[in-house]
Amino acid sequence: MKLDAKIPSGPLEQKWDQRRFEAKLVNPANRRKFDVIVVGTGLAGAGAAASLGELGYNVLNLCIQDSPRRAHSIAAQGGINAAKNYPNDGDSVRRLFTDTVKGGDYRAREANVYRLAQISNSIIDHCTALGVPFARDYGGLLDNRSFGGAQVSRTFYARGQTGQQLLLGAYSALMRQAASGRVKVLPRREMVELVLVDGRARGVVCRNLVTGKLESYAGHAVCLATGGYGNVFYLSTNANSCNVGAAWRAYKKGAAFANPCFTQIHPTCIPVSGTHQSKLTLMSESLRNDGRVWVPKKAGDSRSPESIPEDERDYFLERRYPSFGNLVPRDVASRAAKVVCDEGKGVGASKLSVYLDFRDAIKRDGLAAIREKYGNLFDMYHHITDEDPQKVPMRIYPAVHYTMGGLWVDYDLMTTVPGLFCLGEANFSDHGANRLGASALMQGLADGFFIIPATLSGYLAGEKLGKVSAEHEAFREAEKAADARVQKLLSVNGKRTPADIHRELGGLMWEYCGMGRNEAGLKKALARVPELKEEFWKNVRVTGSGADFNQTLERALRTADYMELAELILRDALERKESCGGHFREESRTPEGEALRDDAGFSHVAAWEYQGEGSAPVRHTEPLSFEHAKPSQRSYK
Amino acid sequence: MNGLLVVIRRYGTSSIGRKQIAALTGLMLVGFLCGHLAGNFLLYKGMEAFNHYSEFLQSQTLLPVIELGLLAVFLTHICMALWLTWENWRARPERYEVRESAGGRTWGSATMIWTGLFLLGFLLFHVSTFRLIEAEDEAGIFGVVVAWFQSVPVVVFYLCALTALGLHLSHGVQSAFQTFGAEHPNATPVIKPAGLAFAVFLAAAFGLMPLWSHCIYRG
Amino acid sequence: MIGIRLNLRIWRQKGPADAGALKSYEVDGILPDMSFLEMLDVLNEKLILQGEDPVAFDHDCREGICGMCSLVIDGRPHGKDEGATSCDNRMRRYKDGDTITVEPFRAKGFPVVKDLVVDRSAFDRIMQAGGFISVNTGSAPEAHCVPVPRHKAEAAMDAAACVGCGACVAACPNASGMLFVAAKVSQLALLPQGAVERERRALSMIKQHDLEGFGNCTNEAECEAACPKGVKLSNIARLNREYLRASILTPAQ
Ligand SMILES: Cc1cc2nc3c(=O)[nH]c(=O)nc-3n(C[C@H](O)[C@H](O)[C@H](O)COP(=O)(O)OP(=O)(O)OC[C@H]3O[C@@H](n4cnc5c(N)ncnc54)[C@H](O)[C@@H]3O)c2cc1C
Ligand code: HEM
Ligand code: HEM
Ligand code: SF4
Ligand code: F3S
Ligand code: FES
Repeated sequence: MKLDAKIPSGPLEQKWDQRRFEAKLVNPANRRKFDVIVVGTGLAGAGAAASLGELGYNVLNLCIQDSPRRAHSIAAQGGINAAKNYPNDGDSVRRLFTDTVKGGDYRAREANVYRLAQISNSIIDHCTALGVPFARDYGGLLDNRSFGGAQVSRTFYARGQTGQQLLLGAYSALMRQAASGRVKVLPRREMVELVLVDGRARGVVCRNLVTGKLESYAGHAVCLATGGYGNVFYLSTNANSCNVGAAWRAYKKGAAFANPCFTQIHPTCIPVSGTHQSKLTLMSESLRNDGRVWVPKKAGDSRSPESIPEDERDYFLERRYPSFGNLVPRDVASRAAKVVCDEGKGVGASKLSVYLDFRDAIKRDGLAAIREKYGNLFDMYHHITDEDPQKVPMRIYPAVHYTMGGLWVDYDLMTTVPGLFCLGEANFSDHGANRLGASALMQGLADGFFIIPATLSGYLAGEKLGKVSAEHEAFREAEKAADARVQKLLSVNGKRTPADIHRELGGLMWEYCGMGRNEAGLKKALARVPELKEEFWKNVRVTGSGADFNQTLERALRTADYMELAELILRDALERKESCGGHFREESRTPEGEALRDDAGFSHVAAWEYQGEGSAPVRHTEPLSFEHAKPSQRSYK
Repeated sequence: MNGLLVVIRRYGTSSIGRKQIAALTGLMLVGFLCGHLAGNFLLYKGMEAFNHYSEFLQSQTLLPVIELGLLAVFLTHICMALWLTWENWRARPERYEVRESAGGRTWGSATMIWTGLFLLGFLLFHVSTFRLIEAEDEAGIFGVVVAWFQSVPVVVFYLCALTALGLHLSHGVQSAFQTFGAEHPNATPVIKPAGLAFAVFLAAAFGLMPLWSHCIYRG
Repeated sequence: MIGIRLNLRIWRQKGPADAGALKSYEVDGILPDMSFLEMLDVLNEKLILQGEDPVAFDHDCREGICGMCSLVIDGRPHGKDEGATSCDNRMRRYKDGDTITVEPFRAKGFPVVKDLVVDRSAFDRIMQAGGFISVNTGSAPEAHCVPVPRHKAEAAMDAAACVGCGACVAACPNASGMLFVAAKVSQLALLPQGAVERERRALSMIKQHDLEGFGNCTNEAECEAACPKGVKLSNIARLNREYLRASILTPAQ
């Protein structure tokens, strides 16, 4: 397998212009002759389907939920970055680019990131025109807030619902195309197979989640915008239906999977309260602006927080990182919390949480001022945990939040399978080993609205693609394969529910491949996961039939893919012996215990190629070079 | 002309258009009732004044036109109300097994169709006894009114009807404002209680008349 | 066993064409920190192991933002917790031995798919009728060309908070979708970007709303009380105004 990123020639600033100029165009009158399948209706998918529809292509758009408006992009809270420099604080495309490459710990492609920063401004213009109610100041102009990893204010937001508002904007554009008939939206469909004809992606098989029927759709190109796979950890801030299924089918059909071990863990989530828990809720990072993070100095201290005197508290972030204090980046804050919990100083019934205390802030600024900023977050926390953060400190713990890894794509967002494109969180993305806050929304919208319309036309116009219909026998084979999986799951009739086995898998992954990873642990998990997978196929219980609305079956199908993905993540984590971004190898750290990158050995993308059932996948590398953003070791002391 | 018909049809068959028509006619009826109440106050002044007022009304050449107009308003209001209500019933074919209000509904709003239908029955009786008759003796219409109000069942029937009217308007008045989109952060909080107060006032003011005739008036 | 025991009465219905009925179940070990859906998970895990068909219910984000969950709990759409979606209701309010009745959203416009799952695609079709601003990718002007007064932007955001869950329909005695339509019409009418198409939008969204079989609004205000996102009745007033205005200003095509 050859990994050719197809980065355009010329200076960094002109690469995207260059590519758009080089890309062949499809004559407007011919566009409706091209069928494009877009899987997913998040920011990336809805954006792509809408803008391709506007151009005149014949688009089919699928999603799992009952409406495209419910894709998990809806849950993003904080904001979206753009290099508008409205606050006049020295921001520029160049600075957004540099911050993103650095934030990603120098494991992203410079050309892609630069393009992302260039497009960021058009995103704000477009979303404003779509009616997204961004926050405004009294002069009626757009307001900005500051976010982690940057010294400028460049984050646009719509209260705490930025993702929702952006998605509803993209959804409305999609609905407009649906009304015009150029996009056909099929909700409650889950893609279960990718169909290749002559080595090119020419269609998908999906399961109609209401009737259980397998449906085949053919097209000239397929775009996957199916989101992240954080749910491999069972508990995450992702929605229940977030899955790796579509990407995993593509991987098994020859698309390389890049950097699967790059997962982001968010430090401020509401901690786990028991095994019943089905998801973790994110509390905005902004809380760390005023809250102080601490644990008791003494391990196993079970006194209530109020009764622990000041000198018996360990404000461990302030202690370890005097200059950044409670505001260190996500990965650093998360790991520090894990360290103290591992030492037995964790608080709460599970001993797996740390305090985030507003006592001093309330004393300093008054309750009213603090409520003004965080009132709704306090109420949300209070509602979920029944503890009032105005009286007792909040308890927080890190949780899986985002996956930087995904299908490998070239500069045109095409995977290693010709005609198969991958957008949004599902691709291995522009965030390197760690994503900055407010950059995922930007990437999803850039991919969907602005990049794919240009690069897809290059593919469609540049290739001679014969007509393929869903009657083609490749579709029958794919349907057969999918049906076989369904029937097999239904026939096991074992003793454990899919959710139960999924929970065990998640526990393993969190333990051995979560915030800290080491060789011994990874090897142990690598031995255990295949056993669990075997148990799954022998002992899972799926009730009902395949020809019905069957949520247990859906869950089982997704869990089956996670079993396989977990193994790949572990392999990738084992091979990457350096620490970088969200990937912390305990063997690779500075004398002070901080993450230590190994640029000589690992300044590359690792892309895995499937070799068939039972054979180990092959690791390919795409070297990364940094000419404009020079690598340096991060330090927050 | 054709275009105008299309526009009217578009409006008059849509849910919002119909409810605005119901609200407009409802408010017109409220207007009529205000006038009717003012005129009826003459009851307290005695036979002469009341009969004089009635004769004055009867002598107006335009009266039949106005009465037909009033009839049209009533019929429109009733038709729209029945049409909307019928559709609303069909919009939930399967009822809830357990139903609990979250506090939005009021007695008035929940009973609009029933209070309305009751008022319809009342009106048929009222108009046929007070309007569609010829007063034979010199007591005139005043005599007719007072005579009817000597009967306890009639007074009770009137009081029931006026309670229904009060309920109907307790929701209807403020609702009509909302239906026309009269909404302002400072005004809306006032409209609700004002509508309610108005409804109570109207019902009470009308209600005093049969009571006065029955209990206090002595020839 | 820790946790409480509950009696559940749950609406079971095989498919759109089948008759449904309430069926009784018992669950135990329910902890106060559980969400309502996690309580149903407990029941379903038990049913699966007994080889029975688990209860189908819609859910996805489980944090109150996607609008997918849609339960009527003891007669209240999205339950009694204030400002909460079904998934955000907590089990804390229940005592050992309590009986809880769970039904689907009921409306002609929301036919039942299975058990507690309903089909809300009518909302998508209403959106298709005009819940958008017609601007093609690439043609937007610079965002700061059009300032928007802050109070209008805020009011637009208040309306835009709608998650499209349909609880307003479920709660409305007339099964009317007016609050949902009003939220979108208001949001876009308040912003100058959306004002260009305001007449067309109001007329066609209402036309579609009526076609879908939703009832008519008689200002019952149950929708506002049930809405998990605090969408206000004033939006319906604004919609009524917009509709009247559009009816007068828009000539017959
Ligand atoms: C709680 C939370 C808060 C966040 N906050 C921020 C923030 O403040 N700023 C920021 O920039 N980023 C944030 N993020 C990250 C960001 O929201 C996501 O990365 C981004 O929205 C992903 O968009 P997407 O379009 O790639 O995928 P998604 O929005 O996840 O959409 C995936 C789509 O694919 C469909 N799909 C998936 N699999 C299949 C299949 N097999 N068949 C058919 N359809 C399928 C789904 O139905 C869905 O429509 C946050 C994420 C979370 C979880
Ligand atoms: C309780 C006190 C009321 C009294 C004493 C009263 C009295 C009268 C009288 C005397 C007439 C005949 C007028 C005439 O011939 O000149 C009349 C007519 C009428 N009343 Fe009343 N009325 C009362 C309440 C109501 C109410 C509550 C309504 C409506 C709900 C109503 C509706 C009408 C109508 C529609 C007419 C016919 C008017 C017309 O044809 O010109 N009345 N009423
Ligand atoms: C005395 C005469 C009446 C008066 C003054 C009156 C007044 C009103 C008013 C002001 C409204 C509010 C409209 C709105 O909500 O926007 C209303 C609604 C209604 N009325 Fe009447 N009404 C009268 C008689 C009737 C009758 C006879 C009926 C029944 C057949 C009726 C049935 C209704 C119904 C069902 C509504 C609710 C419709 C809606 O809100 O859209 N009313 N009425
Ligand atoms: S208006 Fe409220 S209740 Fe209705 S769909 Fe929107 S969020 Fe749900
Ligand atoms: S409850 Fe129904 S009647 Fe109108 S105000 Fe709300 S839609
Ligand atoms: S599951 Fe998303 S709002 Fe309840």
